[in-house]
Amino acid sequence: MKAMRGWSRREWLAGSGAALAGGACARRRATVRARVSLLRLGRYSQEIYEAVRRLLAEHRVEARGLRVVLKPNLVEYDPGTTINTHPLVVHAALEAFRELGAAEVCIAEGPGHRRNTLELAEAAGYFGLLPDFEVRFTDLNLDEIAPVRLESPRSKLRDLYLPRTALDCDLLVSLPKMKTHHWVGATLSMKNLFGLIPGAVYGWPKNLLHWSGISECIADLHRLLARRGRPRLFAIVDGIVGMEGNGPIQGTPKSAGVLAAGWTLPAVDAVCCRIMRIEPRKIAYLQMEDPGGLLAPEGIELIGEPLETVQTPFELIPQFRHLRL
Amino acid sequence: MQALLSAQNPDGGWGYRRGGSSWVEPSVYALLALRDLPEAAEAVRRGRAWLRGLQRADGGWAPHAAVRESTWVTALVLLLEGLEGAGDRALGWILRQTGREATWLYRARMKLLGVSSDYEAAPPAWPWYPGTAAWVMPTSITLLALRKVSKVRPEAEIRERIREGRRFLLVRRCADGGWNHGSSKALGFQINSYPETTGLALLALEAEKAPGLERSLEAAERHLARCRSAEGAAWLEMGLRAHGRPASAPSSLREDTLMDAALRLLARRAAQGNNPLLG
Repeated sequence: MKAMRGWSRREWLAGSGAALAGGACARRRATVRARVSLLRLGRYSQEIYEAVRRLLAEHRVEARGLRVVLKPNLVEYDPGTTINTHPLVVHAALEAFRELGAAEVCIAEGPGHRRNTLELAEAAGYFGLLPDFEVRFTDLNLDEIAPVRLESPRSKLRDLYLPRTALDCDLLVSLPKMKTHHWVGATLSMKNLFGLIPGAVYGWPKNLLHWSGISECIADLHRLLARRGRPRLFAIVDGIVGMEGNGPIQGTPKSAGVLAAGWTLPAVDAVCCRIMRIEPRKIAYLQMEDPGGLLAPEGIELIGEPLETVQTPFELIPQFRHLRL
Repeated sequence: MQALLSAQNPDGGWGYRRGGSSWVEPSVYALLALRDLPEAAEAVRRGRAWLRGLQRADGGWAPHAAVRESTWVTALVLLLEGLEGAGDRALGWILRQTGREATWLYRARMKLLGVSSDYEAAPPAWPWYPGTAAWVMPTSITLLALRKVSKVRPEAEIRERIREGRRFLLVRRCADGGWNHGSSKALGFQINSYPETTGLALLALEAEKAPGLERSLEAAERHLARCRSAEGAAWLEMGLRAHGRPASAPSSLREDTLMDAALRLLARRAAQGNNPLLG
């Protein structure tokens, strides 16, 4: 399986089918494609609960008896902008997985700048909107750790210490905010995995990842988890109100009015890039996780809203204007 | 104090949370907070023995027994007096560390690329993890450790590193006068300071007379007035008191970790005129 780079065994087999189909007949659509759902939602309201249930049903997500970890994106708090995953999205996911019979659903995050995660979560409205948040929450920065080895890494990393809460669960749900990013172009479900890196080992910020190649580390981390097979990865992207410009912290709120979801994180992120009118195949970490050009539009099966109806150009800082789709 | 004593692990260390495995950071804060308290003497002995057993061959400490790399926590351990030979080797490790952005190789590369900014121009300081850039928290802790060491070893190299580290902190101040993790700007935009880093940096800058420090103290007072975390409030109280400013946080603050409990105890001892982080 040395050729399998970054995707899970199931995804790789599916992707190979698509690539072979594409190679055999360029005009014929691939038969097996990564599925990504788009669901229009104009604001954070009670409708979000039904929306998330529908997204999980579209992807036949089974959670009965499983330990599920919801990983939102909590970075910093600024009342003037929209940095963090909205707590209503997290609560809707929590309720949906409980209804699916999950044995345990916890929320976990390891912010990269602030040491005091609960203070940040409180400011971001998590205590107010998520009942028993404190009981359900694990600070991944201070969690128990286990060493893992990276095979054929693209970054300069060879080993990593990762939190046991994430490694030992059955299903890890990446719940990012749809944002532009001043170093890598866009931050979505794959970049959100940086929050797994324990600050107690690497510090605040997790600067080792920056010196080891940010894009390469994003690809390595995704590949490591996808190859392990457990936990399985799923993504739900909060694009109801995202962030454009100088993201991920100092950008401007941008309403895209959409939730995106799927099992294949690179495909979900590629679709979100297209929503923002960014060419995903120009995002370095997506290129690295795109064996055989499977992130091309024809490699992805879209469910729900047609892409064109939710596309809205996110402002890009000058360094990334070449990414414009 | 009882909360800390009852949370000590059988191996002698403390976890971030009760029942969690032992980490160096909360263990050092617990040992400092319990120092010289007669009822804690046995716990302190066991804790110090656990720490001594973790020293690595290079003289440094890793943050956890499972980690195979010495990191910034070495400076934390050096805050504990009476380490003798182990302390000398720890000091050697600390003096060999610097932020990667301050290495001649990196600076030469940036010069060739025509990159010039405050970030690259900052004096050498200390990273969280070897081979990475210097940041406010590890630099502040290292300054506190070197300050203690310099009292018994008034050596020029130590004095020079202290001077550089203090300059680093002053360069990395945010526009509001406080400190965040260590980036005061991103793409030219100002970034706000945080409570915990502002308090700790002020503590590390005890007796500093640099211009503009008054603005930093005002920033700390603003943070303390609205701070909700025990950790942030403890650092702010200690930082303000180190500059002669009265400071007290509400007693009702939530203690999320054992480290919070230890820092609150340290802040209370500082309020009584005996801050174990300073002497």
